[in-house]
Amino acid sequence: MPGQDVVRVFLASASGRLGLALLGVLVAVSLYTLATYPLDYGRRVWYNPKVWADMPKNAPPAWVPGPRFPHQTIEARDPSMVVPAGERKSLFYQFIVYHQGAQSPSSLSLVVGDVAYHRAPPVFTLTLRRPDGREVLLYQFTARAPAAGESPPFHRYGDAPLRVLLSHDETVLTKTARFLEQEYGLPVAPSELRGHVEEALFGVSSGTPASLSFRPLAGTYQLILAAHLQDARDLIGEVQVVVGGTHYGLLGTDALGRDLAQGLLFGFPVALAIGVFTSVLTTLIGSTLGIISGFSSGRTDTLIQRTADVVTNIPLLPILIFLVFILGSRLWLVILLLVAFGWPGLTILTRSMVLQIRTGQLVEATLALGASPSRIMFRHIAFQIAPYLLAQMVFFVPGAILAEAALSFLGLGDPSMPTWGQILEQGFRTGAVYLGYWWWVLPPGLLIVGTAMTFILITLGLEPVVSPRLRAAR
Amino acid sequence: MLRTLAFRALGLLGVLVAVLVLVVVILGATGVSDRVLQAVIQEELLGVREQLAKTIHDPERLEAALQVHRQELVRLYGLEQPWFFRLPDMIRRVLVLDLGEARTVRSFTGSAKVSHIVLERLPITIALFWGATLIIALTGLFLGSYVAMRSGSRVDRAVSYLSAGSYALPAWWTAILMILALGYYLRLFPTGGMFSSPPPAGGLDRSLDLLWHTVLPTLAMVLAGAGAWVYMVRTMVLNTAQEFFVTVARAKGLRDDEVMRRYILRAAAPPIVTNLVFGFLGILSGGILVETVFRWPGMGRLYYEAILAADENVIVALTFMYTLLYLAARFLLEILYVMLDPRVRYT
Repeated sequence: MPGQDVVRVFLASASGRLGLALLGVLVAVSLYTLATYPLDYGRRVWYNPKVWADMPKNAPPAWVPGPRFPHQTIEARDPSMVVPAGERKSLFYQFIVYHQGAQSPSSLSLVVGDVAYHRAPPVFTLTLRRPDGREVLLYQFTARAPAAGESPPFHRYGDAPLRVLLSHDETVLTKTARFLEQEYGLPVAPSELRGHVEEALFGVSSGTPASLSFRPLAGTYQLILAAHLQDARDLIGEVQVVVGGTHYGLLGTDALGRDLAQGLLFGFPVALAIGVFTSVLTTLIGSTLGIISGFSSGRTDTLIQRTADVVTNIPLLPILIFLVFILGSRLWLVILLLVAFGWPGLTILTRSMVLQIRTGQLVEATLALGASPSRIMFRHIAFQIAPYLLAQMVFFVPGAILAEAALSFLGLGDPSMPTWGQILEQGFRTGAVYLGYWWWVLPPGLLIVGTAMTFILITLGLEPVVSPRLRAAR
Repeated sequence: MLRTLAFRALGLLGVLVAVLVLVVVILGATGVSDRVLQAVIQEELLGVREQLAKTIHDPERLEAALQVHRQELVRLYGLEQPWFFRLPDMIRRVLVLDLGEARTVRSFTGSAKVSHIVLERLPITIALFWGATLIIALTGLFLGSYVAMRSGSRVDRAVSYLSAGSYALPAWWTAILMILALGYYLRLFPTGGMFSSPPPAGGLDRSLDLLWHTVLPTLAMVLAGAGAWVYMVRTMVLNTAQEFFVTVARAKGLRDDEVMRRYILRAAAPPIVTNLVFGFLGILSGGILVETVFRWPGMGRLYYEAILAADENVIVALTFMYTLLYLAARFLLEILYVMLDPRVRYT
């Protein structure tokens, strides 16, 4: 069938058109990801907990309806107030948090970076001023004192900014407990407040005998960080407050606060690479062996066919689990193994087609013209069966993607990059399924199924091009 | 007929040998087999120590005696030789599951022996696997032949698309969906395990409880596995339905269902069985993951536990057992094929 006709017949089928459109989307997203993400994204970002420290954990996507607190990162470049006191100086940074009163924030953290001091370490205090006029002193700390042999200015928190997760800090728990006792006469042990600090700080105790349940208090809150510098030359670089939201981004976050949309986006090129490399290599090896086996009868043929018979009967997943477990989970290894166990089907199919073509007049004529066997095999025979090979190549893709996803799901994914299967596995292992975190387990599965489906649709569209023989042989 | 079967059995045996050799060579070349044998020796030495401690009371002499024993064992197991000399012994070891003790996983009775752990889970896996396979095969047969008779109709097109979707659907993700929808949100079915805790006491109650726990895993495997079989049966039936003898049967005025049963399905049975063989592997692999998701305490779940615990002995045993299970199932299908195909039966 001439090339133009192949395209016409293929595009005539609805599944072919749909498959092609989906493939276009997959390729476009993959190219976008490759262009915008660093190649070592997995190691540097995804598997680096520091990057995700301030993110809300297990937060559903932002578009999910329901009471919420929006995620806010508030940065202060300059202090809102400077109070000089002779040699000394106090800087006040003000962070305004507007609370709608629907839902309390999920976390609270403070980041301080690039501090330089000359004489004595500066002292910091963080105060929360509530809309009802009450104030809570949340936290205070002092920068590390000069070490022996260090000369001024002393630089602190330069390479790694100081990051205080206020929600889990013992001081904050103690201070909040004291605040509750003063305010409501509630005798609370600080440890009881673990996980409820934000509710207490951003709400009022509900019930007339005050209890440990809180309802959100709407209004404008101010977080004030005061930096008491002991020398007027001292500098403070970066100050930031992160008020953790209850919802986040397009696809929510996982238990470590990772933005799932990012991980899933990175999974696109990875999945395509697995599918394409595996299918191209499998097709190359499988068809080459099939052509050789079909064209050269005798011992070579028998050897290839017996090997194919054995390999095709090896149960793939158990042996893959074993090999990847022993040899290490590397993506290229998985691809090689999928190729190593995937070629026989095509070899057997190709051989049966070559056997038919070999007896034809074309081969006889080219032989008479003095063509070499390799020229006949890879120039004349290979081109005749090319459409079938193409269809088979597309058909191999979903299998490879599903196999890698299965391995990842068993905990054998390549630890240097996120894949859809790995995201699903982490969701499963940390119990997201039993807690109803659907945003963590539905999208990766849908992407796996959608990608596999894309290639199946293309195969279906190719069927009229290569049928009826391929369909009968499959 | 017996000759054919013997020939097939030989072929499958070849596969088993190939897998065994592959496993053992990989284990040897990566140094894992050394560790496995060390573990076996360690285990034996523990027994020896208890024995010796009864007669030798001086700790130094005890250690010396143990050292002698250890060297004997090292020689006995050939640990002082390079790994490739030990291949036959290692193959035997895998064959009889003599792989020492598991690291963390224990059997239900508390034994640490790999063979105990794995063998006790085999029937649990087979129970789930055969149930699902049977349902998938029957679904494929009935639905496939049903839509084949209505090829080109709306039902046929819908089923074709659905089976393509089912092929793309991994059984384990289907399992997760079911846990989320039917287990978590609707609370209709348990989210995993084999029995409720505590398990009901009565025999009937217990069986019903077990059945109740098998519904979701089986459904997940059927949804993910049935599509390919439906499509395959449809193709086979369509091919056969175009044969002349079917037209003749119709012309004789036989009823449609009779034509279907006695002419088309009977003739299409051997190729259908041949193709079932390939779908089989998919169900087996799917079962590994479905067991994992549903905490079904079979060999598949054990794979996951062993991977998490980095327990290579258990993984070797499981890989062997799964190969064996697959080949055994294959052989049963071969017998079925031989029984169904008169051309093979009478030669």
